[in-house]
Amino acid sequence: MSDLYLSRIRNWFIRSPPAEWIINGLRETLIGALKQGPIPRHVAFVMDGNRRYARSHKIETIEGHHLGFEALARVLEICYKCGVEVVTVYAFSIENFNRPKYEVDGLMQLAKVKLEQLIQHGELLERYGASVRVLGERDLLSDDVLEVIDRAVSTTKNNKKCILNICFPYTSREEMTTAIRSTVEEYSKSSAPKSTPFSQTRITQKIMSKQGDKSENSESGDASSHTPTESDDNEDSMSSTTTLYPDSPSRVSKDGSSNNVTIYPNAENITAETIDKHMYTADCPPLDIFVRTSGVERLSDFMLWQCHQDTQMFFLKCFWPEFDLWHFIPVLLEWQWRQKKKAMEEVGSRQRVKTA
Amino acid sequence: MFKPRAIEAYRRDEKLGHQMLTPEERIRLLKPYLPSPPLHPSEQANKRAMENEQRLGVRRFLKRQWHLFVFIVIHFFFSLYIRIRQAYHQVVNKISSVYHHHHRAPDLIYNDVKDLRRLPKHLSVVLTLDEDARGGTGLAKLIEEASDIAAWCASARIPQLSIYEKTGTLKGYLPRVHRSMTQKLAAYFGPNTPGVGIRAPHCPSIETAPTLAASRIENDGLKHLSVMILSAEDGRDSIVDLTKTLADMSQRGKISTSDITIELVDAELSESVMGEPDLLLLFGPRVELVGYPPWQVRLTEISHVQDNEGVNYQVFYRGLLKYAGAQMRWGR
Repeated sequence: MSDLYLSRIRNWFIRSPPAEWIINGLRETLIGALKQGPIPRHVAFVMDGNRRYARSHKIETIEGHHLGFEALARVLEICYKCGVEVVTVYAFSIENFNRPKYEVDGLMQLAKVKLEQLIQHGELLERYGASVRVLGERDLLSDDVLEVIDRAVSTTKNNKKCILNICFPYTSREEMTTAIRSTVEEYSKSSAPKSTPFSQTRITQKIMSKQGDKSENSESGDASSHTPTESDDNEDSMSSTTTLYPDSPSRVSKDGSSNNVTIYPNAENITAETIDKHMYTADCPPLDIFVRTSGVERLSDFMLWQCHQDTQMFFLKCFWPEFDLWHFIPVLLEWQWRQKKKAMEEVGSRQRVKTA
Repeated sequence: MFKPRAIEAYRRDEKLGHQMLTPEERIRLLKPYLPSPPLHPSEQANKRAMENEQRLGVRRFLKRQWHLFVFIVIHFFFSLYIRIRQAYHQVVNKISSVYHHHHRAPDLIYNDVKDLRRLPKHLSVVLTLDEDARGGTGLAKLIEEASDIAAWCASARIPQLSIYEKTGTLKGYLPRVHRSMTQKLAAYFGPNTPGVGIRAPHCPSIETAPTLAASRIENDGLKHLSVMILSAEDGRDSIVDLTKTLADMSQRGKISTSDITIELVDAELSESVMGEPDLLLLFGPRVELVGYPPWQVRLTEISHVQDNEGVNYQVFYRGLLKYAGAQMRWGR
């Protein structure tokens, strides 16, 4: 009983105009102060704990998701004011389709309604300079949701100041596989002949005619007639059949007519950057901070490619609907502190190298 | 920060399926929280802005100074807090490492873990090479740490261990690592030493058979520990190499791009590198993956002890506890 009174008095106090004014002023000051240090360019959030929050507060699951959306709005406001360029949120995993149907439908409905409202107030996002992107496996969504997503993305695409990436049916493995597939696609397209004074076809034909009967071997796809290159970064290659033809990337097409030569880009030129360009987050800055709420310490198939290098990860105990500035400030402070320490270590090691 | 009244109105509207408020009313609700609109290029606005500039300039300058001051104060207190926290954790870790010492006895280690609800089948650890160390001491320390962890794993009866070290130094010394591990295991287990097989991706495995006593059927201990040594090139680079191979095959018409599925990539990567570990232990003070294979880390439970520095049994023990969802016990 007394607990109830206490919480009521506390609520009344927090809502009173002077307290509200003070809290707001405090928030603004804190955000303004944090802005004086280094600011992460790209932050990712796993919005975990909506269901557990709902269960522990004895409300409907979908209600928990709605509160989670409010938390998202709060976080976006904070990030915007701090000057974070890109925020990526894990809204819905491909695995989540296994959840009860009414919950999935509710989430779809939530996303649809929110995006529709966003479109209605397109000019608001212009003020923020924010563009919305939806990353993920589009084929899994129903047409009406897709249509709303496309409209939301296209109405905001000219805003350049900051980006909100919503991962909606997303898993990182799917993203990586898609990136691999589209890289392979890019490299299996015959490139348009480059505008050089030398014709590649002519050169190839000359080589072919010199090799004479040898060229017939290549029709059968036999690699033995070509000298495999000593590739220096080939120790890790996945299969034994990786003998590549960097010098003569042209191949006689299957029908055997040697005039019909297709020129492929050299597959040896594929690097991590090439694959990076095919990720959903291609033009985003590298991920600086990864935050996961609700105390689970797993990546759960989110941003694997982006966060496995020097991203700092924070696993927080609170549930996502509770997430607020007060949870985010320690994360940001610790990140800034480590940034400072890293810079100092770098200077130190440079000096040591100099003296050595 | 939205005012509670605005939030209430928003929630009421939401409950009613967004019938209560019209888009205009919703905008009015939001108006006070919006940033100022981008400046219109009209002359008059420009002029007024110019007039305001000087007054605002001073105000902005003062505001900036105030924020800078708050920033310095916050960071001063924060670094104080971190130092205290580090000191506190160091003391706690020291005490608990005295309390929970393994004494190089497999039975004691097994006692620690035998009541746990579940144990990882595949444990993975991230080690760092101390590059500042002079001569071979960095390498020697690394090998010592790897052998310690291998011995703890064998004692806890975890059959598979993978050791990630970014630079790949360990990979160059597989025979030495193997020798050190067998010696360590022999020191721990005596006559019941389990066998150990150590390998790196694309390297042949070096094996020792278990001792006779350990290989007997009635022995319920671990019979064989397989160790995998990984480095940064097994992460992104292996995915890049797979892409190269696939691109080459596709250029030759051996596969079509639609054949590239998650299952295919997964099969290839787990074949050539490793499968998914169940638990990843970080011995550093922060959670950073330093290039750990991204494909494999998908559902791996990541465990680290706050402010811990260096390899010790505490991190291992607490990681296993956390994995099993258990609490730290202060009595054996």
